[in-house]
Amino acid sequence: MLKAKIIKKRRELEVNVTLQLGPGESLGLFGASGAGKSTVLACIAGIEEPDDGYVALGDCKFFPPSLPLHRRPVGYLTQEPGLFPHLTVGENICFGISKRMANDKEQVAWIETLRDRLQLASLWHASASLISGGQARRVSLARMLARKPALVLLDEPFTGLDRQLVRELIDDLVSWNQTLGFSMIAVDHQVEVLKRLCPQRAIVLEHGKIAQSGTWEEIRSAPATPLLRSLLAPL
Amino acid sequence: MTANRHWIARACAAVFAIALLYPFTAFFVHVGAWQWGQDVRRPALASIRVSLLLTTVAMAIIVVLGTPVAAYIARCRTRERLIWQALLLVPILLPPLALGILMTLAFGPYGSLGSLLERYGIVMTNSATAFVTTQVYVGMGYYVLGAVAALDAVPSMLQKQAALLGLTPMKVFLRVTLPLARLGLAVALSIAWVRAIGEFGAVVVTAYYPSGMPVQLWVNLQSFGLPAVMPLLVVFLAVALPLPWLIHVLAQRQRRHA
Repeated sequence: MLKAKIIKKRRELEVNVTLQLGPGESLGLFGASGAGKSTVLACIAGIEEPDDGYVALGDCKFFPPSLPLHRRPVGYLTQEPGLFPHLTVGENICFGISKRMANDKEQVAWIETLRDRLQLASLWHASASLISGGQARRVSLARMLARKPALVLLDEPFTGLDRQLVRELIDDLVSWNQTLGFSMIAVDHQVEVLKRLCPQRAIVLEHGKIAQSGTWEEIRSAPATPLLRSLLAPL
Repeated sequence: MTANRHWIARACAAVFAIALLYPFTAFFVHVGAWQWGQDVRRPALASIRVSLLLTTVAMAIIVVLGTPVAAYIARCRTRERLIWQALLLVPILLPPLALGILMTLAFGPYGSLGSLLERYGIVMTNSATAFVTTQVYVGMGYYVLGAVAALDAVPSMLQKQAALLGLTPMKVFLRVTLPLARLGLAVALSIAWVRAIGEFGAVVVTAYYPSGMPVQLWVNLQSFGLPAVMPLLVVFLAVALPLPWLIHVLAQRQRRHA
């Protein structure tokens, strides 16, 4: 169970968000640009440190005090694939796998599954600095999932990708969410993407605070604020 | 930019480059037959050996001590970083002769540290130790400041991603930061190399013996005149310049391909 209360002061924004998430559950964080969605994810991942509050995943306390990043069982995917350009695709995917884990049959099979499902076999020995943006996102996703993290955080990971690829990646993620049982929080501007990725429930942020939470149906049928109604309206 | 303007700019750049390289025309000035007799050759070859061997030792010390310091400074907040960088600039900004005099007084037999070291048989004037120590002082600031810039250029998000993939800070440094900064570090080292191997002002005070190439050039100039200087000058340029030049070209190529 993830329990988090994030308080973080920005120059023109004070984020104050409390959320809970059970194992295997997914949660969509929705809101306008600058509402504080990415800040919440970055504080949970440990990329940023909250000013106050708490973050804990089961018995593992992330904050306070701040737990070093390498001890957090977290996968974090952002708009930037963040691949290591001096390594090949295969080396990137296996980057977080220790030598002991690399010899484990189950682990080897899992890496092969990721490689095949994300169509990375032909790229395996290619330099990560020479592949396309869409390929880099697939590699980045495989690298994040290779260690089977208990918590997956997605910060607009599909921005700029074509719809077909987005659909495929979402289907893979949802399927692995169910089979591996990791908890997942996703942030995206597109409500369709979030609904498909996190069909169970969502939290809407406005000016750093929770404006509404509930199922997608509840949010769509009775938007709590005019801004949210405008964000949900078709173009 | 029109084609004409482009050609004018290119011509100006060419004139600028020719002006910079103009001193090298000195090799074609008639200074008499170049001397490479036994009395010139033997000390000249000894000075080449001294310069190459001891500068390599000095560079190893600079890398071993300077890289962790640079890694620390690269992680500091702005104010603390400014303080460290200001301190590192001191030996760079000091006139070389002044640095040599200060080092002789501080490390020589009259200084407290120098007399203590001498008691243990470590002579800090006119010795290989003095030569290496001076080169370390001369080159360290250049290397560390360059290394800080190289480490800074590695995106912090990549390092954080590596940590989130379970790597300890030391492993992140070895597997991500260092490989991505390697050419920047090599450029910093090559600048330190050129600066140290060509150092005359400080070395002539602290370590007249064993004579390195710059000191030997001066000795040849004083003792035999220009004809005895020219051959050693050619060797000096051939030894000191190719390494940093090659590294700089490689670094530029990598940046273009990135």
